[in-house]
Amino acid sequence: MFRVGISAEGADPCRRGNAGHIASGDLKGARAIFRRIFPILLVPLTGCSGVQSALAPAGEEAAGIYQLLLVMVVGGVLVWLAVVGLLLHAARRRKVPWTEEQAGRLILFGGVAFPVAVLLALLAYAVWLMPVIRPWFTQQAPQPEMIEVTGEQFWWRIRYPAVDGMPAFETANELRLPVGERVAFSLEAADVIHSFWIPVLGGKMDMIPGRTNTSSLLPTKTGVFRAPCAEFCGTSHALMAFSVIVMEPADYLAWRRAQAAGNGTRGSEGERLFAFHGCAGCHGIRGMTQAASLGPDLTFFGQRQTVGAGTLANTVENVTRFIRNPDAVKPGAKMPAFDMLPAADIAAIADYLVGLK
Amino acid sequence: MTERAELSVEERKAQEAELREVWQTPSGWRYWTSVNNTEIGLWYGSAAFLFMLFAGVLALLVRVQLAVPDNDFLSADTFNQAFTLHGTVMMFLFAVPIFEAVAIFLLPSMLGARELPFPRLSAFGFWSFALGGVFVCGSIFFGAAPNTGWFMYPPLATDKQYSGIGADIWLLGLSFIEVASIAAAVELIVGIMKCRAPGMRINMMPLFAWYLLIVAGMILFAFPPLIAGDILFEMERMFGWPFFDATRGGDPLLWQHLFWIFGHPEVYIIFLPAIALMAMIVPTFAQRPIVGYSWIVLAAVGTGFLSFGLWVHHMFTTGLPQISLAFFSAASEAVAIPTGVQIFVFIATMLAGRVIFSVPMLFGAGGLAIFIIGGLTGVMVALVPFDWQAHDTYFIVAHLHYVLIGGMLFPVVAGVYYYYPLLNARKLSDRLGKIAFWLMFSGFNVAFFPMHLAGLRGMPRRVFTYPADIGWDWFNLISTVGAFIFAAGVAIVVIDVLRPKHREPKGEQNPWNAGTLEWISEPEEKWGVRSIPIIKSRYPIWDQPNIIEDIKAGRFYLPDAKDGARETLVTSVLDAEPIQCLRVGGTSVLSILAAFSLGGVFIALTFHWWIVTTVCAVMTLAAIIAWLWTGTAVIPKEEIRDVGLGKTLPLYTSGPQSVGWWAMFITMAGDGTAYASLMFGYFFYWTIHDDFTAGHAGPGTLWPLAAVGLFTLAWLAMLAARKANEGDRDARTRLWLTLSALLTFAAGCAGLAGPYLTGMDPTAHVYPAIVWVVTLWTVVHGGVGVIMQAYCLARSLAGRMSARHDMDLRNVVLYWHFLVITAITSFGVLGLFPGLR
Amino acid sequence: MRLIPKEIESLWTLFTAPTIWALHFLTCYITAAIHCAKADTAASLGTTSLVLGMVTVAALAGIALSAYLAWRQWGFGSGDPPHDEPTRRDRLLFQGFATLLLSGLSFVAVLFVAVPLVFIEACQP
Repeated sequence: MFRVGISAEGADPCRRGNAGHIASGDLKGARAIFRRIFPILLVPLTGCSGVQSALAPAGEEAAGIYQLLLVMVVGGVLVWLAVVGLLLHAARRRKVPWTEEQAGRLILFGGVAFPVAVLLALLAYAVWLMPVIRPWFTQQAPQPEMIEVTGEQFWWRIRYPAVDGMPAFETANELRLPVGERVAFSLEAADVIHSFWIPVLGGKMDMIPGRTNTSSLLPTKTGVFRAPCAEFCGTSHALMAFSVIVMEPADYLAWRRAQAAGNGTRGSEGERLFAFHGCAGCHGIRGMTQAASLGPDLTFFGQRQTVGAGTLANTVENVTRFIRNPDAVKPGAKMPAFDMLPAADIAAIADYLVGLK
Repeated sequence: MTERAELSVEERKAQEAELREVWQTPSGWRYWTSVNNTEIGLWYGSAAFLFMLFAGVLALLVRVQLAVPDNDFLSADTFNQAFTLHGTVMMFLFAVPIFEAVAIFLLPSMLGARELPFPRLSAFGFWSFALGGVFVCGSIFFGAAPNTGWFMYPPLATDKQYSGIGADIWLLGLSFIEVASIAAAVELIVGIMKCRAPGMRINMMPLFAWYLLIVAGMILFAFPPLIAGDILFEMERMFGWPFFDATRGGDPLLWQHLFWIFGHPEVYIIFLPAIALMAMIVPTFAQRPIVGYSWIVLAAVGTGFLSFGLWVHHMFTTGLPQISLAFFSAASEAVAIPTGVQIFVFIATMLAGRVIFSVPMLFGAGGLAIFIIGGLTGVMVALVPFDWQAHDTYFIVAHLHYVLIGGMLFPVVAGVYYYYPLLNARKLSDRLGKIAFWLMFSGFNVAFFPMHLAGLRGMPRRVFTYPADIGWDWFNLISTVGAFIFAAGVAIVVIDVLRPKHREPKGEQNPWNAGTLEWISEPEEKWGVRSIPIIKSRYPIWDQPNIIEDIKAGRFYLPDAKDGARETLVTSVLDAEPIQCLRVGGTSVLSILAAFSLGGVFIALTFHWWIVTTVCAVMTLAAIIAWLWTGTAVIPKEEIRDVGLGKTLPLYTSGPQSVGWWAMFITMAGDGTAYASLMFGYFFYWTIHDDFTAGHAGPGTLWPLAAVGLFTLAWLAMLAARKANEGDRDARTRLWLTLSALLTFAAGCAGLAGPYLTGMDPTAHVYPAIVWVVTLWTVVHGGVGVIMQAYCLARSLAGRMSARHDMDLRNVVLYWHFLVITAITSFGVLGLFPGLR
Repeated sequence: MRLIPKEIESLWTLFTAPTIWALHFLTCYITAAIHCAKADTAASLGTTSLVLGMVTVAALAGIALSAYLAWRQWGFGSGDPPHDEPTRRDRLLFQGFATLLLSGLSFVAVLFVAVPLVFIEACQP
């Protein structure tokens, strides 16, 4: 069976990948000072941040926005210090108050001229940046590949299109992308509004019922990241996330090939029970069951980082917990409780699923 | 003309006795029927503060839940109810009403008026607000509170299984409160434009009044789109009309547009009045007039306009074209300019004066320091690319609290410390004030600053829990600690306000040596100003010698009361020349009756109790008609009134001279805005679909055009009725009124016939639904028009309307101008547009 | 030359410039929105941007005119603030000055809103 190296790493986000550290080799001049100092100011706590941080860009869009943020933070700090300094100075008693003309001039220059100039420059920078980080599709050749992602309460359906003789396939709650290639997304919602957001790669785009939004991202670093739902979507909005794994293109292609082919049958007891208890009515496992689309596809479930769309680490115990009573783990989840099944059966199914690698 | 009248001691005593009698507050249970602005303002403010404390407790619960990762202090659903209610209550039941309260309390005396022009309307607004507020807040104790966020995005909020009755409570409860806000806006606009003391030209108005005028105007154009949205929303929830249901041609984004067309101006509706308080406090403590009065006016008016071009910046991630986003980004950057101007005006005023530092200034300056951070992060999130990352993260939570707490709560607390002596002639404690300030200031920053970082590190908003070790644990724990420090500060303010002070000696009437007129009002007298002065300065108390003594001695206008009526002066808009002596409504139970029965309508609707709804609606109508019949357009015993200083003024005016006409005009401007929002919906559906009729039959052209023709004829008949009345021909007036009513009835039937006869089913698709909604809106307005005509007819028959006393008819004709525009637009578009495409 | 009769002086002169801003803003937003909704999302903005550019120039001209009228009402800068005398003259000067300031703000705001026309060339989200 094909195995991807990264999936062997634990589910602890702290140990996933090396995101969060900024390579320092390519830094020049003032930008280098920015980049060296600001992570220290903005990320005062060391440790495991980074898997879901806009401050640790691993994609082109996130990097462009990070740069904009640094400029604004420096400017903002200076403006704040100046204005509050002036305010404190003004609050002190002084022997000779300013004349009305002097005070009027302060309003004109400090309150009008300076802000107008600064805001205009900032606005031009930001508006210029928009098409730079989200380039027009029409001007791209070849057109980037379009991955369909659908938000559902409270998980993510992901469909990869057919490419190079590999058939299209569906997966869930885990998105794999090739490093250095722009990938486009077609974003839809099945029930309510969700929002697609991979902080380390770029900004968000809402998924709205009845509309199809598109966006594109260009990952620049490999690693394992986390992506939460960014629009309030109901009871378990907080428990709706997916993993993003950015891979070398060759590994990525190998992974796609394996996914498209599916798991096949293994003849284990868990596999039999999975079908027997009707799990396959909602969940598909390619090569083993008929296609089913009510719930998340579980092909190669064992490779996934988490169970329950980012809710728990993917271990046999957690899968068992989830099957027994999804609502206890993830309030409002649509999957019914299976606590009437014998504990041994649930354990066997969990064992089987976690073993799908 | 003399400028001061000399009165003997006996005359003064007699006048004071008369005034006291007329303006007295009723005792016993009847106390609650009082409509005096000082009572209503105080109740309003206290109620708003209670709601604030309630919502604050909800926030603390939220913070406890988020203190540590994977916490289970609150269940997911309770958490969702708590944050939804926190946002809703803070916005609708505290931030907006508190300014209405302060305005109703302060404005009359600040403008040198006895009362605002419609005191019973203020009372009606207050009772609506209180009842609606209790209804909305109470829901959480039954686990039935709204749980979809204060923004109520469909389709989550239209999903009955998920949101249960909570969404209805939100929609109907708040619609009711919005009615109260619009009532307050009408009251304030007319009050500020028409009830200023003689000589208070627009260049002499206190800045507070300028701000409030702009804010009330903003309410008038910002709240109606939300009311229109609420109507669409409730039609979908109750009857399945698919306005936001994508499977039947609707679009969830329309709600977002309507909500934020309201929601963004709302931020400035909250912020400007607080800055208005600062504009009163800063000159007092700098002991000089404000530097840059015109700059403040520029900033207020500019903000008022620009704030309507910002709404899409709440929708930067919805997938609208980049060009649309960029326009709104540009306007959002531009609005920072007038905001900056105001801050520099305060700094410049302080620099040009000699600052006395005290507790109000402490809160004011601290608030500014906080607010500037919020403003700067606002400039950041208004830039589209950054918002793509920051949107719906804790960065936004931090930003909005920096703006609202720095820009609104701190100035309001400054205002409480500053104006408290107006309530009972004693100051609040300096020592407690300083402790409260430092607790609030430090607690606030500890609580909210880390949220910027949590948000940038990817923490989304509205999560009831979060996993450990993603890099948010410490930030959240620190925030929770800060929230409790902040709450302790707020508690000290509450204690300071509530602690008994009767043992302390009474202070001076104007303890801060302020220059503006609100400081002439005496806490123990209810008449507002003893006599209405002639204003010659922006800071009359500083610049007009002896003005306080002269006012108190009754040396100016209206030093007495006549016919047992409460009176104030009406002046011209620009130069404030006296034009009328206005008799305003006194103590009455009708305002409460109207408010409670209207509340009954909204509450019964929530539970789909149709019979109760109908009964309450009839009661509301009866109460309003009784209120109008007994309290408005009263024909005075004498036509003119000697107001003192050798001046006589008419007691009855109509048309643009009268305050009632202005109130109608302003109300209809708001009503027109709601209507425009519905029409925006119609064209919105046209833009998003290739064929927006989706193959459904339309209302045809014949019936809609017949409706246009009949409404126009009905309008012409109204003009004829007015003309006949001017010639004092009662019979003809009545005839024209009757004819117009019949024509209106026919017009309404023709309007309904279009969609009815073609069998348009509003539940089938959004096209029939929007056609029906526009039709019903117009027909219902026609129905209200008929009621008004019947009212005029009754007035005429009762001998209460004549050529001289034609206020009712003039106001109804004004309503008809708006109605005919509405009808022509509605039926013209419904009948012709589908063919034009 | 007097374009607006002196008699028609009311609060509304104050609102002329911001109203022009609002109309310009709405024109830009609605035109672009309809263009993008009715054309396909990849469509270029080409002509629309050009038209909106011309609308911008017209709006700026209108605001400049309002500023000129305000400047005249302010006595061509002869009557300095604070305009706080209780006279009709000071009231007029105040209105002139405030209108001039608002024209300035509106002018800048129109310029801001025109910035996207320079950088954004397609309808894509």
